[in-house]
Amino acid sequence: MAAAPRTLKALEIDAATVPGRIEGVSLGLEAGQVVGLVGPNGSGKSTLLQVAAGLLPGGAVRWDGRPLGEIPILDRGRLAAWVPQETRFEFGFSVRAVVEQGRFAHADDGTGVDAALAEFDLDALADRPVDRLSGGERQRVLLARALATRAPLLLWDEPLAPLDIRHALQVVELARRLARGGGTVVFSLHDLRLAETLDQVAVMEHGRLRALGRPESVLTADFLRAVFGVRASRGTGLEMELP
Amino acid sequence: MSSGSKDRADGLLWGAGALLVLLMAASLCLGDLRLPPSQVWAGLLRRDSWFATVVWEIRLPRTVVAVLVGAALSASGLVMQAFFRNSLASPGLLGVSSGGAAGAVLAIAFGWASLSLWSLPLAAAAGAAAATLAVVAFARRGATTDRLILAGLALNALLGAVTGYFLCRHTDVFDRNAQMVFWLMGGLEDRTWTHVLIALPIVLAAAWLWPLGRPMDLLSLGQAEAQSLGVDVRRLRRQLLLLSTVLTAAATAVSGPVGFVGLIVPHILRLLAGPAHRRLLPLSLVGGAAFVLACDLASRLIGGLPLGIVTALIGGPYFLWLLRRER
Repeated sequence: MAAAPRTLKALEIDAATVPGRIEGVSLGLEAGQVVGLVGPNGSGKSTLLQVAAGLLPGGAVRWDGRPLGEIPILDRGRLAAWVPQETRFEFGFSVRAVVEQGRFAHADDGTGVDAALAEFDLDALADRPVDRLSGGERQRVLLARALATRAPLLLWDEPLAPLDIRHALQVVELARRLARGGGTVVFSLHDLRLAETLDQVAVMEHGRLRALGRPESVLTADFLRAVFGVRASRGTGLEMELP
Repeated sequence: MSSGSKDRADGLLWGAGALLVLLMAASLCLGDLRLPPSQVWAGLLRRDSWFATVVWEIRLPRTVVAVLVGAALSASGLVMQAFFRNSLASPGLLGVSSGGAAGAVLAIAFGWASLSLWSLPLAAAAGAAAATLAVVAFARRGATTDRLILAGLALNALLGAVTGYFLCRHTDVFDRNAQMVFWLMGGLEDRTWTHVLIALPIVLAAAWLWPLGRPMDLLSLGQAEAQSLGVDVRRLRRQLLLLSTVLTAAATAVSGPVGFVGLIVPHILRLLAGPAHRRLLPLSLVGGAAFVLACDLASRLIGGLPLGIVTALIGGPYFLWLLRRER
């Protein structure tokens, strides 16, 4: 008997609750998409990403159909890569050494590290100690480390905030490329105009998931007014894209 | 990590190893009685009963204890610094050495210390173990890093008060008071094979610690990040806390509280060899042993200055010079 064709969700969360931060959040995301996670400050975006990454207990999480509890911690390092919103480096590891940490769960040092460095324009900084980098450079190091894991599920917490416009657009471009290759990228952001160009948007408000769907059907003027308290209209502003 | 700094770290490890062997040889030769190497050799092979007594009963146990204490304090400091993600953390941060001190002072105050050679180090070990248990019990309830440090501060203050109380109470019993003060300065005089035995857990802890260098690298850059990359952070933190406290407790039990080693040696080695713990762990073990042995030799040659004072006198200025040079 042939198995019934069944699409496994890349990421599923059932009724995730972290007291005081998020409540009853359930969602399912299919593979091959870039998902923008938006919402006002304090709406629970970071918490949701940490629950999805298995870093905070709080709900049933499945990656590719597998319950997280059944996946050993070492294996998780190959399946999903989480990037924190901000970090502090106490010790002066070289940029290359930090990116190599992305290979911890693979028990090798080298594979894909050079490509990850090149992807984020870090070749020239490879031997620089990470405790002497700017905020944007630090963020690129963390993203390169996440990329080096080759994990199919990427969970990035406001990756664009400290980046200049060109690097920000490059990161979005990379996310699209990873999704075309079958990966799933979920990242939080505040730029709703950028969110509108992604495959899906998830909107958090007061710790609850308000909406999840295609941007044009979710980000309507009425909805933006209700959640963000702004009046949205279309006009012609300064547009920027990679050359 | 570039190959240049790896070669440099390998060179440093060989250098520190050679230095340690030289210092061990010197430690067997030098003291109140200067023995030429040929006589030390004769003593080691028990060809001469008088030299054999000096070498086997006095110099060798003292040398071995110095090596174990140095390696333990330095490795413990390195672990604490990775654990707390702070290069200013030291082995005594959580109150382990204060616990050892309180245990030892209690043993002296009540006269147990004179009952047997075992009683003073064992009382110190018991005090350190009590402090360790308090810390671990606190950590098991899911204490965050900040709360652990605060708990360590409180424990340090509490145990320091116990030590201070018994010091004050026995000012009229001169010999006990002097013994307490002397013990609290840290030292390696008259150490025996009994002390070596008590310090043996250091070898076990060091062997357990040896393969944890790479996960320590990840932990030292952030707990959640390390967990996301595949490190079982809860388990690793438990292991590191246990190993660091066992190292400090065993060292304190046999030498008294010797300050500065656990702070300065890993710090200097990190400046010289880079932050990768796979290389820093062996370097700290060997480098710490060499540092304490050198300080003990200096203390013997100067005329019996307590070890804890010598480590600070040598370490402090060197550290200041290094900080000035690096910036």
